[in-house]
Amino acid sequence: MLSRIAWRNILRNKRRSFILILSIMVGVIALVMTDAFSIGMMRQMLTNQIGADAGYIQIHRKGYHDDPALKNSIVNTAPVRAALASDSAFVHISERLRTFGLISSASNSSGVSIVGIIPQEEERITTVHKYIVEGTYLTGKPDDIIISTATAEKLKVGIGDKVVIMASRIGGSVGSEACRVVGLFETFDSGFDQTHVYIPIATVERMLAAGGRVSEFVVNPMDPKQTDSIARQLRSRLPADFEVLTYKQMLPLLVMQIQLYDQIIYIFYAIIAIALIFGIINTMLMAVMERTHEFGIDMAIGMSNKRIVLMILTEAFYLGAVGTIVGLAIALAINIPLSHSGWNLAAFSDSLKSVGIGTVIYPVVGASTVLNAAVIIPLATVIGAVYPAMRAIRLQPVEAIRAS
Amino acid sequence: MNTNASEIVRVDNVRKVYSDNGVPVDALRGINMTVLPGDFSVIAGPSGSGKTTLLNIVGTLDKPTEGAVYLDGEDVASKTRRQLADIRLRKIGFVFQAYNLNPVLSALENVEFTMMLRGIDAAERKRKSLALLEELGIGELARKRPNEMSGGQQQRVAIARAISNDPRLVLADEPTANLDSDTAVKLLELMEKLNHEDGITFVFSSHDPQVIGRAHRLLILKDGQIVDDKVNV
Repeated sequence: MLSRIAWRNILRNKRRSFILILSIMVGVIALVMTDAFSIGMMRQMLTNQIGADAGYIQIHRKGYHDDPALKNSIVNTAPVRAALASDSAFVHISERLRTFGLISSASNSSGVSIVGIIPQEEERITTVHKYIVEGTYLTGKPDDIIISTATAEKLKVGIGDKVVIMASRIGGSVGSEACRVVGLFETFDSGFDQTHVYIPIATVERMLAAGGRVSEFVVNPMDPKQTDSIARQLRSRLPADFEVLTYKQMLPLLVMQIQLYDQIIYIFYAIIAIALIFGIINTMLMAVMERTHEFGIDMAIGMSNKRIVLMILTEAFYLGAVGTIVGLAIALAINIPLSHSGWNLAAFSDSLKSVGIGTVIYPVVGASTVLNAAVIIPLATVIGAVYPAMRAIRLQPVEAIRAS
Repeated sequence: MNTNASEIVRVDNVRKVYSDNGVPVDALRGINMTVLPGDFSVIAGPSGSGKTTLLNIVGTLDKPTEGAVYLDGEDVASKTRRQLADIRLRKIGFVFQAYNLNPVLSALENVEFTMMLRGIDAAERKRKSLALLEELGIGELARKRPNEMSGGQQQRVAIARAISNDPRLVLADEPTANLDSDTAVKLLELMEKLNHEDGITFVFSSHDPQVIGRAHRLLILKDGQIVDDKVNV
């Protein structure tokens, strides 16, 4: 019966309740949108980096991650191939030989990471082939090279033009190869584009006189959730002079950024909750003041302080619950389609590309986002009603009855 | 202080001093009175004589500055706020001048409300509330809200609410002041019937001659003092 009274009290001043519910709804929508957008952005940054280059797991010779020099590459790949043999049904594997070097045209030159790949294997691991905007992906010819549109502009070259790549060999001499541009790519990350070129692995081996060497084996589990367990198994199978790294170890800053965000969002929740609490205090205080006489009568007929507090808190909870439910429904109605179609932010493409996000953001509405909103907002409304409720029960019955 | 076991209320030498902008005002000056089971008493007197203050003190809504109030032999001064609320819930029914029904509840729910506070289960309180409303002649108004009822009808609901918990005592503060004389007479007849047939004890504060004319006991209050106490008027 108390809950029925609380609900009817809310309906007594429809305009005031509507405004309060509206403000709660706006808070919930802002909270869910911000969370979904930020989670989507963070995940995209991570999956983009994993998809562009890192992969989920990499196997190196020990020390290569700290000093990615050619001398630290894997010489004997047999133990790695043996370790991977039993997992071949669950993972995609690619091997690369990479080095830092120079790419030059007749007009200009640029320092880049020269990545030697097996194109068919790499296609199953990374996404660069999807970002070809002109020409083709590596066709299998030994002198093929794909570069980014940014690098092409800098070198003033186009499809079919020749470029020369050169890099230091282990002994200190310099190797070089003449390549022909077969494709231009443009990914979500302008920094990545400017610093990466792809050629067949055999061409890099020849240039560096590094036959048989492999800088890294990239291993992508078919189910990314298996990353840690597969990495653990590989570590146990490989000799101690190999290192098995997951993306968490290869992209620590990004992972830390995501973990940091998970904490920072609670600050945002707190700001919304505090604003809401003050709104509730104000509104419920008005409602309590208006009903001073009624509380006096309630006290006269024997209503306990506990029940009066409960009634006021119930009213606040209902306001919060209605605002949260409607707010969540609207936020989900906006976010769910956007999570499929994406939110095109082409107007900010330069800044988004510079941080490796891409121009289309796909918001992610997780269960935690919905749960946080569903708990935090009604809780904040109840907390906001505590002070008005305390004011109500501090009233002296006889004075409250006299209030008009 | 010894109290007679049969007394519902005993008021001993009660003084009440209000502060009016810092100036002390004696609202009650040494009141002594008792209420016995089955009483139909009226505290009469001009405006400002202290009738409502006395009723509020008897009803534990206000505390005396001096003196003591005993309800069923218990000194209410020692009771906590929570205990006083419980005493009001179980032992006292209130009827106010302005009816003071809960505007968001129907007539039935207003009557049920006090029973709900006592923890009576929903089916029992509904049955009893409907029976009370029928007894008071407003059974057909059970679903109506206060703003859909006349003053007399609202006051009948208020009486039903006041007696719903079978109180030891009903305190009625100027219950007819807002009613036309016909309605007031009907209402008083109703309360007399409840007094005669059901043995409900009533204490009124009023200066309405119609109320005073029905009193079994009349206490005249003037300037915070009882100046006359007539039994079997």
